[in-house]
Amino acid sequence: MTDYNAMTDDDFRKMLYNWLVENYPNELRFLTERMHWDECGDWYMTLANKGWLAPGWPTEHGGMGLDANKLLILMEEFEDYGVGRTPDQGMTMIGPLLIQYGTQEQRERYLPKILNGENIWCQGYSEPGAGSDLASLRTAAVRDGDDYVVNGHKTWTTLAMDANMIFTLVRTNKEGKKQQGITFLLIPLDTPGITVRPIYNLGMHDEFAEVFFDDVRVPVTNVVGKENDGWTIAKALLGHERIFIGSPKMASLAMNRLKVLAESTNMFDDPLFIERYTVLKLEIEDLSAAYTRFVEVLKRGGHIGAEVSMLKIWNTETQQRITDLMLDVAGENCGVSDAIPAGDTAVSAAGEFIGARPTTIYGGSNQIQRNILAKAVLKLPS
Amino acid sequence: MEDISLQSRIDVLSEEQMMIQDSAVAFIAQDTELKKVRENRFVQPGYDMQTWAEMAEAGWLGFLMPEEYDGIDLTFSDLSLILIQLGKGLVPAPFSATAVLSARTIVKTDNESFKKARLPALISGEWMPAVAWQEARATLDVKAENVTCADGKLNGQKLFVPDAGGADAFIVSAATAEGTVLYVVENDASGLSIEYAQRVDGGFYATLTFDNVTAGEQLASAAVAEQALASALDEARLAASAELLGVMTRALELTVDYLTQRVQFDKPIGSFQSLQHKAVDLFVLSEISRSVLLHTTALFDGEASDKERAIAASQLKSRCGDAALQITKDAIQLHGGIGYTDECNIGLYLKKAMYLSSLWGNPSAHRNRYASLAL
Ligand SMILES: Cc1cc2nc3c(=O)[nH]c(=O)nc-3n(C[C@H](O)[C@H](O)[C@H](O)COP(=O)(O)OP(=O)(O)OC[C@H]3O[C@@H](n4cnc5c(N)ncnc54)[C@H](O)[C@@H]3O)c2cc1C
Repeated sequence: MTDYNAMTDDDFRKMLYNWLVENYPNELRFLTERMHWDECGDWYMTLANKGWLAPGWPTEHGGMGLDANKLLILMEEFEDYGVGRTPDQGMTMIGPLLIQYGTQEQRERYLPKILNGENIWCQGYSEPGAGSDLASLRTAAVRDGDDYVVNGHKTWTTLAMDANMIFTLVRTNKEGKKQQGITFLLIPLDTPGITVRPIYNLGMHDEFAEVFFDDVRVPVTNVVGKENDGWTIAKALLGHERIFIGSPKMASLAMNRLKVLAESTNMFDDPLFIERYTVLKLEIEDLSAAYTRFVEVLKRGGHIGAEVSMLKIWNTETQQRITDLMLDVAGENCGVSDAIPAGDTAVSAAGEFIGARPTTIYGGSNQIQRNILAKAVLKLPS
Repeated sequence: MEDISLQSRIDVLSEEQMMIQDSAVAFIAQDTELKKVRENRFVQPGYDMQTWAEMAEAGWLGFLMPEEYDGIDLTFSDLSLILIQLGKGLVPAPFSATAVLSARTIVKTDNESFKKARLPALISGEWMPAVAWQEARATLDVKAENVTCADGKLNGQKLFVPDAGGADAFIVSAATAEGTVLYVVENDASGLSIEYAQRVDGGFYATLTFDNVTAGEQLASAAVAEQALASALDEARLAASAELLGVMTRALELTVDYLTQRVQFDKPIGSFQSLQHKAVDLFVLSEISRSVLLHTTALFDGEASDKERAIAASQLKSRCGDAALQITKDAIQLHGGIGYTDECNIGLYLKKAMYLSSLWGNPSAHRNRYASLAL
């Protein structure tokens, strides 16, 4: 087996790039919407067969075992090539969590099924009444013999209709501090009593769903960690992936589309436009500098804390400012649903603009990120 | 839903204006759930004929029209009271396009017999003409170049004709040896092809392609055509801005209501100061916009020159376009996840703002015109 970490960065990059050119479907490059399983299943299996589905997992669990540096290079190469996101919550979220907190039996049972595409996972944390205040969640799991009986309602579950497994936070104790009565529970979506209802987003795509639980029986062996210990586990998980929200690639992609649109409408003849364009271009370049600085911490084996919220704020809001300018450049087309021909491609300013809305809402809204920075970093009084 | 504006605190309405406003408030109260909007989205013509008939019945289509054509000769100040409500209720009807742009273009032309024959039918809702003037994206220039008329035949292309799907006829500007002339072309004229693009708000823009289409009746000669069109367009911009004010106002009302109802961390989220400040900023923006609308309607109701009107229309349209986008964007953010769903009505306001803010010139185009006319 190749020891990727021993390769030079350049060789590693070249290897990834060459393989993508041969294996990644052209029609799936640089998509703006999340892919459904029927579009990306083949690609998922290509990755799985190559053994590259889980780059960050240790090799003994079937991952590529990449160190922080190589993992970031891989993310970069994939982003540069315009590789779309698969339903990847198995690889990025539940896998690492089971590796860290799962029992041997759970790892043996679930990890291989992530790697062979048999299990597609979705994340069932949010509820209608529990978003920013996630700890107030009410979906209840009540012990009955060797099972829990689950009743409640999860929502905004991304791509739940493509998944067959959901990892949830459920309430197992109503007393005391609300963070303390929460349990991390794995639930097969084909269990009787579960209903999944797709929800259409503002772009008119069924990107997420509601999941209803009506007397759903789940074996207690599906708990990860200990009962009532789910909050700690979920928070540890959120820590893992936070750096990626700072990657300037999303904003760069939007910027490229703005450029195409602007070229096709001769906007670069207008000095005022060039000024506005340059402001945004520099926002991304400056973000890159900040991102590199944070990445260096990981490469040194360090830990990134609450300060990473600043990357999320800057990144997502830059993206929104870029799509604001796209609307402006599009003129009347800003009110048109479909992509409009631009250069040798087509750009939907409206689609980009609408698609940039949720980035400041999910993953901890930007208001919540500001609260975190104010309290945990600036130590401002409550 | 309670009116959030400063109107009742600091503005004065005449008794007649109160009645006009009340009737419009009652009109949109029939569909507070916005069911009609959703029913008519993405299906031709993109608006509701029944609603159009009801508006005609209420006399609204003749508000700005002289009595000699069966109109009731009211003012822009009066009409804006209705348009604000239409914006609040996202009423699916091409009011600004047909009852303002088309009707006012026709009124300003020099074909008296056509006016006498057709304007009463427009006002009664039986005849819907659409104006096809635009030939490029993001232009405010009414001089026809692409569509030409020679030997009685029209050739060329018009872009971004809003709400054309229900139009009985088109008022088409065309370049002739004498200059820009307006013609009337029936919707089924041979050689005319119509291509639709779906809009985010659920309506449609049409591209009209003329291939040796026989020009119908001449509506305006080269002596008056450009001026009629330009002047009517500024009135339509005022109308669209009043709708935008309604859109932003209701979006803000819905959001303030949501901030009051939605509980997180055991408190209404409206108790968080960062959200209070955001809501207040949006409120200020909406009242600044309303101030400009009041200023502009007064100017249009007075003796202002075409140039003064153009300057005022650009000031108004750029403010209302920007403010409506800002307010509806932030309204989504303040709603959280639910705001990003199609099921929640707040997104309909964002999409209406996207459409109206760019119709007949987006904020940048109007700031440019303002700069060239007023600075
Ligand atoms: C596209 C998308 C995909 C998602 N996918 C998933 C998924 O797969 N699984 C999952 O579990 N969840 C998912 N979510 C849910 C997401 O995590 C929540 O939307 C998010 O946590 C916000 O919660 P909420 O929607 O209930 O908004 P609320 O928490 O109700 O927030 C409403 C508004 O109040 C503000 N606010 C709240 N509290 C405070 C405060 N203390 N101070 C200042 N402002 C505050 C918020 O910033 C926001 O503007 C997804 C959401 C979206 C939009």
